[in-house]
Amino acid sequence: MPIVKTQDLSYLYSTGTPFEIAAIRDVNLEIEQGELVGIIGHTGSGKSTLVQHLNGLLKPTSGKIFVDGLDIWESKQTVRDVRFKVGLCFQYPEYQLFEETVYKDISFGPKNMGLSEDEIDKKVRMAASFVGLKEEHLDKSPFYLSGGEKRRAAIAGVMAMEPKVLILDEPTSGLDPKGRDTILGMIKEYRQDTGSTVLVVSHSMEDVAKMATKVLVMNESKVAMYGTVDEIYSRSDEIIKMGLDVPQITRVFTSLAKCGVNVNPNIYTVNQGKLELAKLFKKA
Amino acid sequence: MISDITIGQYFPGNSILHKIDPRMKIVLTFAFIIIIFLCKNFYALGVMVLMLAIMVASSKISIKVILRGVKPILFIIVFTAILNIFYTDKGETWFEYKFLKITSGGVYIAIFMAIRIICLIIASSLLTYTTSPTMITDGLERLLSPLEFMKNSVHTVAMMMTIALRFIPTLIEEFEKITNAQKARGADLDSGGLIQRSKALVPIFIPLFITSFRRAYELAFAMECRCYNGGEGRTRMKQMKLTKVDFVALFFIVAMCVAVIMLNMNFTHLL
Ligand SMILES: Nc1ncnc2c1ncn2[C@@H]1O[C@H](COP(=O)(O)OP(=O)(O)O)[C@@H](O)[C@H]1O
Ligand SMILES: [Mg+2]
Repeated sequence: MPIVKTQDLSYLYSTGTPFEIAAIRDVNLEIEQGELVGIIGHTGSGKSTLVQHLNGLLKPTSGKIFVDGLDIWESKQTVRDVRFKVGLCFQYPEYQLFEETVYKDISFGPKNMGLSEDEIDKKVRMAASFVGLKEEHLDKSPFYLSGGEKRRAAIAGVMAMEPKVLILDEPTSGLDPKGRDTILGMIKEYRQDTGSTVLVVSHSMEDVAKMATKVLVMNESKVAMYGTVDEIYSRSDEIIKMGLDVPQITRVFTSLAKCGVNVNPNIYTVNQGKLELAKLFKKA
Repeated sequence: MISDITIGQYFPGNSILHKIDPRMKIVLTFAFIIIIFLCKNFYALGVMVLMLAIMVASSKISIKVILRGVKPILFIIVFTAILNIFYTDKGETWFEYKFLKITSGGVYIAIFMAIRIICLIIASSLLTYTTSPTMITDGLERLLSPLEFMKNSVHTVAMMMTIALRFIPTLIEEFEKITNAQKARGADLDSGGLIQRSKALVPIFIPLFITSFRRAYELAFAMECRCYNGGEGRTRMKQMKLTKVDFVALFFIVAMCVAVIMLNMNFTHLL
């Protein structure tokens, strides 16, 4: 059974005004337990709108959402439960920090779940270690952290709820390459250690290629493609047509293959590229 | 939802109403409101309603939007109407029960007042629907510029108003974003008593204030970087000029004013 499933999901913003706009249309999705799904698409393609449906923050104009096989809008209770099952971390989450100390801020989620002090403490420390925040950071005011640290503290606030499905909306936007790699690394690690399902919204193909097991491509409010990384990147022509970037290394290898060089065109990380070239030179 | 409030919202467009000079529009809106209060009978008010209908039609803004703007004050309208019905004792008695008494005069006045308030709201919201906030403050600043001796403070106040108006939608958006983020962490905003509910707002207002301060600093820096130093010697990118449309609008309002005064004099007995 898929952990997250949507059925003909559509959502209109500003219904009944001149600004009415369909942010997502007829989205049908099935995401299996344990996947790491990269969601990519242009700005305005509906990525954020889609993920806000999965934890019940937005109520669909039409269609249904199932988490763990349960229709999340069945009753008031199911909507509230889904908040803890599906953890959503918004874009620029550092602007939601509010407590006096980082520790207290991370414990906001677990506290709302009604856990005991001991459990809260355990979860906060676990989440902090996932994001690489040290003991001494925990007693600081979140406003004295650096930009990257703030971001990580905010992500820890969602991880601390140990949701079955963790969703991160553009977790690396506005960070330098090093900060970006740190965050992507820790997301990967979190998934490996907890076995939870993770959805990462991004507009960087390279990031997605590095970590995802499945890729969801959104285009003009619709799901354009959904499949494994191999399946998606083998259709790089279509992706480029949508105005999205494929990783540079993929471009190199598709061009090489087109020129008649005997290489696999479906290469999307530099490492794979290295291996492929080594193979080629060995043959020659 | 908080974003349903349309008063003060601007709907970009290209209609005749959008084209009227903001100075003229402000003055005429004031004139319209004053004339509403001059109306003494249904004939005069009828002229106003007709005029308003013409204005709404020429603004090309959908009736739905206009009516939604009236919705938030529906309560006030109904409340004053009820007060008027029971407090006026005039004309025939239609209904009597103990101390409650409904008379024809009371019903007339109630309806009359309700229409007046609705006209008032629609007329003033038409101004903001068809004029961008910057145009309104710009227009106000220029209308007040004859107050030469306090010119600089006129400019400062106008600038403050422009900035405040500009950031209302941003603040609302920010508020919703932060609310959603905290809800995603399980914040429960709509249960519990008054104290619990106000406590639940802390995680929203602290980030909201911090963001606002940050934004204020950034804006101040950006303005200074572009050498902003108050109104003195400042020229304008957009010059305002009265055109034919403005005089037509003026003519309509003057004609309406004359009609209202005449009707007031000729049918004094009606109310
Ligand atoms: N709060 C909102 N009100 C009105 N329209 C919105 C709102 N949020 C997003 N939209 C519109 O919905 C569409 C999808 O937006 P979004 O889901 O944020 O896309 P993405 O995250 O892929 O950039 C865009 O056209 C955007 O303008
Ligand atoms: Mg987005």
